[in-house]
Amino acid sequence: MASRWADDEADKAEALRRKQDKEEKKRLKLQKQQQAGEAARAAKEASERPAKRRRLSNSEDATTEDTARTPKDPEKERKLLRFEGGRWAPCHHRSNFETLNHIEEGSYGWVSRAKDIATSQVVALKKVKMDYNQDGFPITALREIAILQKARHPNIVDLKEVVSGDTTEECVLVMEFLEHDLKTLQEDMHDPFVASEVKTLLRQLAGGVAFLHDNYIMHRDLKTSNILLNNRGQLKLADFGMARYIPPPSAPLTQLVVTLWYRAPELLLGTPNYGTEVDMWSMGCVMGELLLKTPVLPGTNEVDQLSRIFSLCGLPEEKSWPGFWRLPNAPSLKLPRGQRNKQSFDRTRFPFLSGAGVELLSSLLSLNPDDRPTAKAVLEHDYFREQPKPKPSEMFPTFPSKAGQEKRRKQSPHAPKRGDAPGLGKVDFSSIFSAQEEGEKGAGFMLKMA
Amino acid sequence: MQPSPLANPLAAVAQLETSGSRLDGIPQDLEDSVRYAGARLTQAAGVLLRLPQEVIAQAIIVFMRFWVGAEGGSLAEFGAGQVSASSLCLVTKLSAYPKSARSLVNVYAYLDAFPLPPMHTEPKEGKAEMYYVSEGTYERRRASLFETEQRILKTLGFQVQANLPYTLCITYMQALDVFTHPRVSELAKRAIAHLNTALLSPQLLYLTHQPPSLAIAAIYLAAREAGIKLPEAEWWEVFDTDREELGFLCVGFLSTEGFAEQEKERWAGRRVPLTVEEVNAEIKRRNEESDA
Ligand SMILES: Nc1ncnc2c1ncn2[C@@H]1O[C@H](COP(=O)(O)OP(=O)(O)O)[C@@H](O)[C@H]1O
Ligand SMILES: [Mg+2]
Repeated sequence: MASRWADDEADKAEALRRKQDKEEKKRLKLQKQQQAGEAARAAKEASERPAKRRRLSNSEDATTEDTARTPKDPEKERKLLRFEGGRWAPCHHRSNFETLNHIEEGSYGWVSRAKDIATSQVVALKKVKMDYNQDGFPITALREIAILQKARHPNIVDLKEVVSGDTTEECVLVMEFLEHDLKTLQEDMHDPFVASEVKTLLRQLAGGVAFLHDNYIMHRDLKTSNILLNNRGQLKLADFGMARYIPPPSAPLTQLVVTLWYRAPELLLGTPNYGTEVDMWSMGCVMGELLLKTPVLPGTNEVDQLSRIFSLCGLPEEKSWPGFWRLPNAPSLKLPRGQRNKQSFDRTRFPFLSGAGVELLSSLLSLNPDDRPTAKAVLEHDYFREQPKPKPSEMFPTFPSKAGQEKRRKQSPHAPKRGDAPGLGKVDFSSIFSAQEEGEKGAGFMLKMA
Repeated sequence: MQPSPLANPLAAVAQLETSGSRLDGIPQDLEDSVRYAGARLTQAAGVLLRLPQEVIAQAIIVFMRFWVGAEGGSLAEFGAGQVSASSLCLVTKLSAYPKSARSLVNVYAYLDAFPLPPMHTEPKEGKAEMYYVSEGTYERRRASLFETEQRILKTLGFQVQANLPYTLCITYMQALDVFTHPRVSELAKRAIAHLNTALLSPQLLYLTHQPPSLAIAAIYLAAREAGIKLPEAEWWEVFDTDREELGFLCVGFLSTEGFAEQEKERWAGRRVPLTVEEVNAEIKRRNEESDA
């Protein structure tokens, strides 16, 4: 039998050997992984290049830009593989990307344009703000990532991976880069989109939203700055920081969702259970904004927001919106009584919109959530069938990209944060229409706090 | 042409060939034991926290994913108890049932008292959530809970979601027209029980097979045990599973039950090492035993 000493020595040698063995294995493994990754990226690059500007010669159909690709399209097949037989691997490091320029500092993170060093592919990086609080990894970021992982659709921004940074907290979303968001783009455009372009955009928007709702996801922060557009006329939804799965009925939801200008009346009135209809309201606001090139309902606070809504869409009534008075904040409203004709949509604000267009817009902006069409129904709407037809995406004009070059200003309100208390106090709306009749425009009238 | 919303990321072959723990010299049988105990711990904690089985199952899958492959977590660095708690923490955040750090820490402290995590806990032991730990202990465990949460996210590249076979299992039973059978509830119960047991499988069945195949194997076994006739034809092919995979899964399901029995005997009266220190002590004990 060997002595203790000899054993010890042997143990040490064995431990050392094991350690070296392990390090070597890890190194080989990593090397292999890197090679595989580079090969995959190269293959992907190669497959993307020819497909890039595929034109569908006689297609009238704009949103089919993506769906019309044949199933044999190599990019599609690769995608299928990735998610059918997908796997997991540790996060890559942020240093695999070289920052080109900052795009925007938003409410939840910083977004920049960057280059994947291995492939030269340009991507958008969104750094998640880590308000390290009592709850560990922020729930909102986790939800955003989880929902983006599941929401794979031509009209939803593609999350490629999540990378880690130098500090343990740093966490960065790697997304496909799109040249524009609709807000910045419209600010820089000289004229509004023409009718056929609005249709192309709106139909893609409805396509993305329909997919989300089909998959039990509410976006809850639809607005022009969260809608991206590339130079091929493709629109994609972004910013899922507020999104969540539709919870089981009766579970209370926070009303602190949707940036004020795009917030549905039932949310402003404090409903504890709302649904996908809040996204449809926002879609109405976006549609109006695309037509006017300026936000339709730019309220300065909750009360002002409601008054702008009522003056555009009419006043709520028990008949058109049963249950309205039972909403938490409704009793504090004082509405004018016995007014006729005031519950109808004010179409004079959209003088160039066709009858079908007004029908669609006013139905999206129905006060009663039940009266709003679903995203699927929007896709079927006559508005898209009548002349002018939606402009094919590939015919879409291109614009200089601000995101591609410089940092931008920021002025519209952010999505609400925890702590902004809902509730309106007592509000008197009885003067809304008299004020308007006296000649005041829009929502410039006075509101009394009763 | 969208990918199936029911597909899960699966472990790559290379990931199944080794693990962080094995590279650190931890014997495979010990890793198997600890992983199994950790999965059971997750199940027990989930029940005490009154979580639905779907949420618990996802946490177990996250827990299992964490350890596989050369880049997976190692038992020399992470205790299974700690990873179990953080897996539950993560998964509940994405569910409709988020749990406070306080509840998690208390429940795990309560479960600490059992040598092998209990197989059947009752949620009425609601005291577990109120179980007392000192403020200092709480602070330390909370910090570790969140630190480990980060490590899980990075190790899995944020792939912490998993589709489950439970609903599919019921849907398939409907499609197979067995719902008119007088003993359908027995069939369903048995099938679900198989799915729950398979979560603990040392063969990591949920990491290597898609939910439809798991559901089919569970129904197949349950029907055989309950003596309920299913169609003569190869019905599983309708649900995209071939005979070979079905056979493999059935063996896997049954062997998990055997493995569970074996573990019970093996650790009778002893604690399964669920912390790094305990794992080290166990290895030392084994070395001394083989020296003697
Ligand atoms: N994939 C992308 N490509 C190009 N620009 C993007 C991309 N994602 C976001 N942006 C830009 O960054 C801005 C902020 O991003 P967003 O995801 O909305 O973050 P936040 O939650 O901070 O609002 C957007 O309005 C858009 O201008
Ligand atoms: Mg945004």
